[in-house]
Amino acid sequence: MTTLKTEGLTKRFQGLVAVNDVSFSMAAGEILGIIGPNGAGKTTFIHLVSGIILPTSGRVEFKGQDITWMPAHRRARLGIARTYQLIHPLENLNLIENVMIGGVFARGLSLSAARRRSAELCAALGLEDLERETSRLTILEVKKMEIARALANEPEVLFLDEVMAGLNSDETKHLIGVVKSIAKERGMAVGVVEHVMGVIRELTQRVIVLEAGELIAEGPYEQVSKNPRVIEAYLGGAA
Amino acid sequence: MKKASLPGILAAFVIAALAVALPSFAGAYPLQVARNVILYMALAVSWDMLLRSGQISFGIAGLFGFGAYASVLAVLRGGMDPWLSILFAALLSGILSFAIGLAILRLRLMYFSITTLALAEILRIIIHNLHDFSGGPEGVVLEGSIAGGNASALYLLSLAGLAVAIGTSLYFEKSKLHLALTAIRNNETSARSSGVDIFRYLLIAFVASSAIQGMMGGIYVQSYGFATPESVFDANFTLLPLAMALLGGIHSTIGPMLGAILLGLAAEWLKLQIPYGHLVVYGIIIIIVILFMPKGLYGLARGGRKSS
Repeated sequence: MTTLKTEGLTKRFQGLVAVNDVSFSMAAGEILGIIGPNGAGKTTFIHLVSGIILPTSGRVEFKGQDITWMPAHRRARLGIARTYQLIHPLENLNLIENVMIGGVFARGLSLSAARRRSAELCAALGLEDLERETSRLTILEVKKMEIARALANEPEVLFLDEVMAGLNSDETKHLIGVVKSIAKERGMAVGVVEHVMGVIRELTQRVIVLEAGELIAEGPYEQVSKNPRVIEAYLGGAA
Repeated sequence: MKKASLPGILAAFVIAALAVALPSFAGAYPLQVARNVILYMALAVSWDMLLRSGQISFGIAGLFGFGAYASVLAVLRGGMDPWLSILFAALLSGILSFAIGLAILRLRLMYFSITTLALAEILRIIIHNLHDFSGGPEGVVLEGSIAGGNASALYLLSLAGLAVAIGTSLYFEKSKLHLALTAIRNNETSARSSGVDIFRYLLIAFVASSAIQGMMGGIYVQSYGFATPESVFDANFTLLPLAMALLGGIHSTIGPMLGAILLGLAAEWLKLQIPYGHLVVYGIIIIIVILFMPKGLYGLARGGRKSS
């Protein structure tokens, strides 16, 4: 079943076309890789579907409903969650409060119910000592907290924007395992932006490739990685 | 959302009991000083409530003066009961800030601050120039102070106003408003992705803090029995609460209260020692606090918790 869909999604920043005519869809339970060179428009694309910025033209649909112009906080309530490439812990809230916020505002839970569910999420991700200030967390813990906060929305679609960046391979493996099992358990659609191709190969069933804002290839990773256009996009015109 | 400790709750009860009992053992002058401290304390706490969202208002004097005139004119022109007029001042200030908030809460940082400063000035000028209705620059005089000017009654009235301010502020601290406003202050984009309707919570904080400021304006004029644009729109109603909150520690209820007691009493003492010199001392305190202890006294005492 298609959960999220875009049609001809385009974002222009003055002269620059950051996302150009991208049409794609994601099905429930699917883990989709979103890859492409730096500046290809991956993050802008996630901004557009999560409502952080609005498109110049095109259409975004969530389970058949047109959400192209819907504000971000309402999309969060509807079932779209995401993490950010540049991590932003809410520094004046502690660990559990950072996670609770999605339960309280996206799900409308009471403080105590949100706290309970967030504690469960944190446990699943291996986060402990939940009353700690965010300044005392390790990078791995901050990344886990970001994932937990997104999961607290209880989303049907989750985007992870380079959440593995800066982690070593053991940590990455652990997080991949957690994301996979949570996605499966909840039948969630997950979009993963990642530069480490090993992560994409392990985690995703299908990838889309963006280059200069355009969707240039789509399919299983093994197939896409042999696509001449994709190789050229990654290695430049010289290849 | 820290849990209140038992000794903390007991201490709060003792202080509250002493505050209520003060008229039974204090004379007219201490009561007058206490009223003054209470007034600024309520303003400082109300200012902090909005600050927790990251929005810095310079409009306290504007809402205070507006509330003062709303109360005084409701009594004088509308024949309203003076007690009721204080609630009316709160209500009207709330409505005004709701309407203004719809327009200006899209602004951030200094753009918001400057706009609130301009707003205060606009309100003052309007009152100043509405001669027939507001009494113009000469102001208006009531038949008398509320409660016949009884010192104990006036003190308790101010204390009731303060109780409303503290109660609202504590509710802000203990409810989901705390999560929403802190998230907005730290990172609006993250807050939106977690489902926080930013505009809604900014509006709630702006209206609540403005209504309290308007209410205190009403209490102030009903206590003194007269109002002029210069007296109720005085810039000190903006500057002193700000200095108090900064000194005591922002983003809390306790901090601004602490700052109000310290600066309020210090001002009273300095006024007697060096008339007008207390304003210089205020300026120096603001500079020292911002340079050396941006978390304020309560922030220092609280230690690790960051307060940006």
